[in-house]
Amino acid sequence: MRLGKIKQVALWATAGLVVAALAGCAANEAAEGAAGASKSSDGTNDEQLSGQLNGAGASSQSAAQEAWKAGFISLQSDVTVNYDPVGSGTGREQFTAGGLGFVGTDAPFSADEASGGGQASCAADSPLVEVPVYISPIVVAFNLDGIDELKLAPAVIADIFTGKITNWNDPAIAADNSGVELPDLKISPVHRSDKSGTTGNFTDYLAATAPDNWTAGETEEWPAEGGEGAEKTQGMVEALTAGNGAIGYVDAGQAASLSWASIKVGTEWVAASAEGAAKAVAESSLEEGRGEGDVVYELNRTTDAAGAYPLILVSYLAACEKYEDAETGKLVAAYFKYVTSDDGQQAAAANAGSAPLTAEEGLSAKVSAAVARIGA
Amino acid sequence: MSIAELVKGGERTASGRGDAVTTLAASKPSPARRAKNALATGAVVAAVVLTAVPLTLVIWAAIRRGSERLDLTLFTHSMRGVVGAGGGLLHALTGTLLITAATAAIAIPLGLSTAIYLTEYGSGGRLAAITRRAVDIMVSIPSIVAGLAAYALFSLLLGPGTRSGLAGAVALAMIMIPVVVRSSEEVLRLVPADLREAGLALGSPKWRVIRKIVLPTALPGLTAGAVLGVARIIGETAPLLLVAGFTDAMNYNLAEGRMATLPVFIYTQWSSKGLDTAAYDQRAWAGALVLMAVVVVLQLAARALPPQIAKIRRNR
Repeated sequence: MRLGKIKQVALWATAGLVVAALAGCAANEAAEGAAGASKSSDGTNDEQLSGQLNGAGASSQSAAQEAWKAGFISLQSDVTVNYDPVGSGTGREQFTAGGLGFVGTDAPFSADEASGGGQASCAADSPLVEVPVYISPIVVAFNLDGIDELKLAPAVIADIFTGKITNWNDPAIAADNSGVELPDLKISPVHRSDKSGTTGNFTDYLAATAPDNWTAGETEEWPAEGGEGAEKTQGMVEALTAGNGAIGYVDAGQAASLSWASIKVGTEWVAASAEGAAKAVAESSLEEGRGEGDVVYELNRTTDAAGAYPLILVSYLAACEKYEDAETGKLVAAYFKYVTSDDGQQAAAANAGSAPLTAEEGLSAKVSAAVARIGA
Repeated sequence: MSIAELVKGGERTASGRGDAVTTLAASKPSPARRAKNALATGAVVAAVVLTAVPLTLVIWAAIRRGSERLDLTLFTHSMRGVVGAGGGLLHALTGTLLITAATAAIAIPLGLSTAIYLTEYGSGGRLAAITRRAVDIMVSIPSIVAGLAAYALFSLLLGPGTRSGLAGAVALAMIMIPVVVRSSEEVLRLVPADLREAGLALGSPKWRVIRKIVLPTALPGLTAGAVLGVARIIGETAPLLLVAGFTDAMNYNLAEGRMATLPVFIYTQWSSKGLDTAAYDQRAWAGALVLMAVVVVLQLAARALPPQIAKIRRNR
C-alpha cells in the first residue's frame, strides 16, 4: 500500500535522524583533549584553561559577545563560553542569586551593591569589578519616502515622542530642515515595549538635553502614553522598516538599513558614528565614590565638543574580584582580558558596529587595572 | 461519525416519518431551502479557505526562506566559534531530540498511568475527581510558569543558576503530562466494556485484562495522544530559554550544562543579530524549516509505529 510505504520510510527516517544527530560530532568542534595541544603554540604565553564559563545579561551586547566568544576560544580552545541574552535587569538578578561567572549590563550595579558582599556568585564579601566594554551610538531612525537625511534637535525629538508634534510638516521640524520637502503625514513614534537599556539611555539623553520638553526623567520602561510599542530591537527595526512616517530609536549596529537623523550637539549637527560615540565617552568623567575595580561612567550628555555624539549606550561587564572556585576566577579573568584588549574590541566593532574603547589611552589603562584585580 | 453517515442517518429518520415526508423529501427542495443550503455551504467553504490560506503561507514562507541555507554545513556544524555567516544547527537539533526524548520518557509513563487509574480504577472516586480537575487546570497554565517551576525546583536541589537539558525536560513534561492524560483517558474510555468483561469472565486478573486487552486495543489512539503531546512541546521556547539556557556548542549530557534547542536557536538568531543580518535571518528560517520537518517526520513515524509493532508480534 502506498501510504504504508510512506509511513515506513518516515519510521526509518526518524531512526536515521536520531542516530545521525546523536552519533555525529560537529565538524567545527575538535575532539576534546587534542585541541589544547595544537593551539598552545600560537605565541601567547597564557595558561591554557578548560571548562565552562557562563554569563548572562544585556541583549545589546549579544552580537559583540558572539564575536568575543569566537575570538576567545581561538585562544583557549578547551573553554566554552555561554552568554544568555536575558536582559540587563534579569542578568543582574541572576548574578546576585548566584551561579553566574559574569554579567553583561547596560546599567551598572549601584555603588552600594558593587562595594562588596551580598553577591551569591562571588566569594563572601568580594567587591565587584565593572568595566565598560561595549560603546555604541543610538540612532534616531525614521522612515519617510524620499527623505534620507533629517536634522532633529533634542527638544523636537522629545516633543515628537511625547505626542506634542504630530505631523511631519510641523514648523518646529521644518525650521531646522530648510531645503527638505516635508510631507503632510502623521508621525507615528515607535518605542520599545519591553524594559530596555536602549530606552534608558534615550530617555536619559532627552532628560539631560531637553529637560523642559521631556519631564519623565531617565527610565528603562517607556513612560509616555500613546505611540506604537515594539518588542526588542528587532521589533523596532521591523516597525520602522514597515511604516512610512515612523520614527524610533535603535542601537546603530542594527540600524544599517534605516535612515538616521542628525542630532544637535552644542550648535552643530552631528550624525551617529563610532568615532563620535568614543569622543562623547572621552568627554565624560568616571563616577566618583566607586572602588578601584569599578570603572563606571557618568555620561556627559550635554557636551558640546566638536564631533561628539552623546546619544550613546555604554554597556558594562561585571564580575567578582574573588570567586569561591579559583578556576572560575581564572576563566573570567582571561575572558575579560581578551574582551578589553584591542583584538577583542576590534572583533566587536566588526560584528556589532560598536566603538572600540581602546581608542582612549587613559581609559584602557584604568580598565586593564580593574581587570587585573579579578581572581588576583 | 463521517458526514456521509450523518446524511444517511438523516435520511433514515426522514423516511421513518411516513409517506408524506418521503414524498416531500423526494420532490425538489423549495428555493428558500436551496438558498439557505447554498449560503451555509459557502460559509463553510470560506472558513476552510480562511484557515488554509495562512497555514499554506506559513509553510510556503518557511520552505522558501529556509531553503536558502539548507546545506550540508547546517547539519554538520554547530555555532561554536562562528561569527557572522556560516555555522549550523547540529547542536540545537541534537538538543531538541534529546530533550524531547527525555520529556516523553517522563511524561508518557506518568500520563498513561494516570489515565489508566482514572478510567479503570478511580472512576467516580474523590481522588479521580480531584486529579481530573488538576489536569484540566494544568492544561491551561502558561508554559513559562512550568519553566519557572522547574527553575525553582532545580535551583533548590542543585544550587542557584543551574541550567541543564534535564531541567528543560522536567519543565516540558509538566506541559505534556496533562495532554497525554486527557487524550489517553478518552481513548481508554472508547475500549468496549464487553471486552473487559469477557476477559474478566475468563478468569483473568484485572491488571492482566488491562495489559493484554485494554492497552493493545487502544494502542493506536494512545500513540496518537503521545504524538500530540510531543508536538505540543517540541516548539516551546520560553521555558527552555529559562531552564535549559543557550549555548552554541554541542552538549550530549542532559544532566549537566546548558543545551541548545531548535526553538531557542531560532529565537536567538532572530533576536540578536550582528551587522550581517541576512546570515542570522537565513539561519533562523532554516531552523524553522528543520523544526517543521522534525515534527512532520515524528507524526508520520508515530502513525507507522502501531502497525509495525502488530506485524512484529504476529510474525513471532
